[in-house]
Amino acid sequence: MIDTQTITDHERWAGIYKLLDRTSLIHPEFEPQEEIKEFIKSCKILVIGAGGLGCEILKNLALSGFCDIHVIDMDTIDVSNLNRQFLFRRADVGKPKAVTAAEFINKRVQGVTVTPHYCKIQDKDEDFYQEFALVICGLDSIEARRWINATLVGFKGQARVILPGITSCYECSMDMLSKPTGFPLCTIANTPRLPEHCIEWASVLEWPNKHGERKMDTDDPKDIQWLYETALARAKQYNIQGVTYSLTQGVVKNIIPAIAATNAIIAASCCNEALKIATTCAKNLDNYMMYSGNDSVYTYTFQHQRKEDCPVCSNSVSKLEFGGDKTLEDFMDYLKEKPDIQLKRPSFAIGGKPLYMQAPKQLEEAMRPNLAKPLKDLFSNGDEVTITDSTLPFSMQIQVTFL
Amino acid sequence: MDAKTQKYDRQLRLWGNSGQEALESAHILLVNATAVGCEILKNLVLPGIGQFTVVDQGTVTQNDIGSNFFLDSESLGKSRAERACELLGELNEDVKGHSVAKDILAVLTETPRYLAQFSMVIATDVTRQTAEKLAALCWLNGQESGTTSGLKSTDSPAGKKETTFVWVKTAGLLGSARIAVPEHTIVEAHPENVADLRIDTPFPELVDYAKAFNFDTEDTLEFGHIPYVAILLKYMDEWKQQHHGKIPSTYAEKNQLKANIRSGMRSGDDENFDEAINSVLRSCQPTVVPSSIKELFADAKCVNLTSESANFWILTRAVKDFVDNTEKSGGLLPLSGTIPDMKAQTDSYVTLQSIYKTKAKHDVQEVSKIVEHLLESLGLASGSISLQEIESFCKYSAFLKVIRFRSLEQEYNQPKAQQIGEGENWEDDVDPLHVHVATLLQSWAVEGDAVSKELTHEVCRYGKGAVHNIASFMGGVVSQEIIKLITHQYIPLDNTFIFDGARSVSAVYAV
Repeated sequence: MIDTQTITDHERWAGIYKLLDRTSLIHPEFEPQEEIKEFIKSCKILVIGAGGLGCEILKNLALSGFCDIHVIDMDTIDVSNLNRQFLFRRADVGKPKAVTAAEFINKRVQGVTVTPHYCKIQDKDEDFYQEFALVICGLDSIEARRWINATLVGFKGQARVILPGITSCYECSMDMLSKPTGFPLCTIANTPRLPEHCIEWASVLEWPNKHGERKMDTDDPKDIQWLYETALARAKQYNIQGVTYSLTQGVVKNIIPAIAATNAIIAASCCNEALKIATTCAKNLDNYMMYSGNDSVYTYTFQHQRKEDCPVCSNSVSKLEFGGDKTLEDFMDYLKEKPDIQLKRPSFAIGGKPLYMQAPKQLEEAMRPNLAKPLKDLFSNGDEVTITDSTLPFSMQIQVTFL
Repeated sequence: MDAKTQKYDRQLRLWGNSGQEALESAHILLVNATAVGCEILKNLVLPGIGQFTVVDQGTVTQNDIGSNFFLDSESLGKSRAERACELLGELNEDVKGHSVAKDILAVLTETPRYLAQFSMVIATDVTRQTAEKLAALCWLNGQESGTTSGLKSTDSPAGKKETTFVWVKTAGLLGSARIAVPEHTIVEAHPENVADLRIDTPFPELVDYAKAFNFDTEDTLEFGHIPYVAILLKYMDEWKQQHHGKIPSTYAEKNQLKANIRSGMRSGDDENFDEAINSVLRSCQPTVVPSSIKELFADAKCVNLTSESANFWILTRAVKDFVDNTEKSGGLLPLSGTIPDMKAQTDSYVTLQSIYKTKAKHDVQEVSKIVEHLLESLGLASGSISLQEIESFCKYSAFLKVIRFRSLEQEYNQPKAQQIGEGENWEDDVDPLHVHVATLLQSWAVEGDAVSKELTHEVCRYGKGAVHNIASFMGGVVSQEIIKLITHQYIPLDNTFIFDGARSVSAVYAV
């Protein structure tokens, strides 16, 4: 065996050092400097999420020569992760993702230190995030992405470069997300047609009926089995076909199909940009790349524009027109469905005075009558309404003009 | 849920059990354990291909461990094939890995038919001569076999396998991939919308169904739940009666039909009427056999079936014969049998669903009879094409696709092998490369300075360097294409993909 001491940066990183030692005529601004190599080794970089994208990102950064990498993730390993989260083995099921991933990379790639943080992103304060030169975000939850965007500087997943104050931010592009798939309550309750309607009935209406205060644990096979059987019975009653265990799980956990190949593409794009930004060896992506592989391979690179009234990266107030005769409940339903806002359980206030609060329970009950009142009885035309929601990392101000 | 379904849950939602079976029967050869090669295999071992083999004569260098995640410092000096096989094998206990520490050309000299055992050959870091040789051998396998839809080789009539060739290159921030196989057929292209409602030419059961709705009902709940298909059928029928049996064809006529439907609304928010209005444009598209499918019907492989014909072509022929029998089919493809969700009462929705399903089932039965006839006339075993395969073929018959790739031989004839930018004096390579590119462009009659000196310089700057991010990106793209090729689901790229990591853009060319 060869003594591992003989590994030299020059030989090991030959591919990357060609980029760093040689000038470019298509990017003449770049000046090769030894300091750049030192910077890659010493700069602190944070990876958010140690899931499908996170595993790929950690590997890519380690093999790009970054030596001081941190990773933050609150999750533990599930058996369904193994088809793509390649730093985990069957024996690791149940262990924290951040810790297991860090151990694997530290063992595999000599000279790299990955520091795990097994906690929620919200558990860390602003000072923690400010320590890092770069942040790469490999999250699949819209809520978490929103939170990170409102909290820190950096750039993030989905092959997108966000330079605060320069490019558009995550919140600017909320309207590009597809509408969350939800089914109207009256369909679920009265006129089910699809197997999904029966599953929603079991989880939304029948679960609280039968289990009272106990919350559903979608990771517990027993709970899924109960939902499956309950949905199946309802489907039989209505002559609806297609309720399966797998579909039940898919609907209640809102499962997005995922494979290693797609994660690899997105993660590699992000890390390619990270290396370009850290070294300036080539121009960075400005600022958005989409990838589609259903029919052939298609990538689309474009400059996403900032939103003038973005609640995060601009200081202006959003404006909205809405019927003054419509009720607060109508208004709430409208905001829940609006793709660029995406609220789950919004609370409303006007000039610091609450109009409707989702919690605590007593307050909710006391203010519930307001939901049935027309907006014009609750505030005046042109007033600014403050909206808070558990999905929002900030409070949103909307100026409402009555139609 | 068994352990395997649990592990593969997230991917089974994409390609189902049939796709998974195809993956599990695949055996993939990787020529040279490069960074990009191992990244491709990683993304294929994880979802559970059957077997892989790594052929590589080399030993592990420092540069390898700096770019390849499946070679570590403990591997230095050892066989690249063996170490990569070992570390890749750890990813999935259900996948069998083999390694051969020899040069691929030496292996082929010993065993000329070596490649025939593989469903896929991935070549990385090979010279053009080697690539051409591998490509030609794979191409021969593909032509000899009856390529079939995503089934095990034993299910195809001839019992032979196709071998798809993929050549992947990376250099600095550039990556490219070239796929070559004589013919690739796809049944499940996963189109966005397979609904085939036949509003313009309703079959009798559908006509009766629509007539049963009472549009004069006093009950607003009932009125608000008339399925939009019934609404469309009613207004389309009225239109046809007023227009000599013709459906709206001009933009103005379609708008008029929309207006007619709107006039039947009682309140501004009859969602079912909105759904009907939103479907007018699509419903006024006459139901016909798409031209792409007519081309398949005229294809020599469909017209001249032999006992060696692949299931795909026997089924295409059966569908063609079904369409030609206008008494049975009305000259249309088998009905897909799926309908979208719509505002409706449970009963009327379930009934409508079953009307489409029953008609689709009936069409499948007709096609099955033809398939049996064809199998008999070809001297093939009755039932050798399963009902399940016929059903899926009929359901997606409007979206069938055949890709005939061009071979490497077709792509170019002039031999050339030049190592670019490898030496210390890399800038000396810029001029010769630029001249060479200009000569090539001239021989292809491409005018002007299509490739600038700056770009040539940039390629020399990369000097064939292995940059992990690019290897990983290409590993993702290529493995995704390989999954599509093996499962015969979704549409693979035809035939060359290029990624420019400097500008973060990509392109596909059929060279």
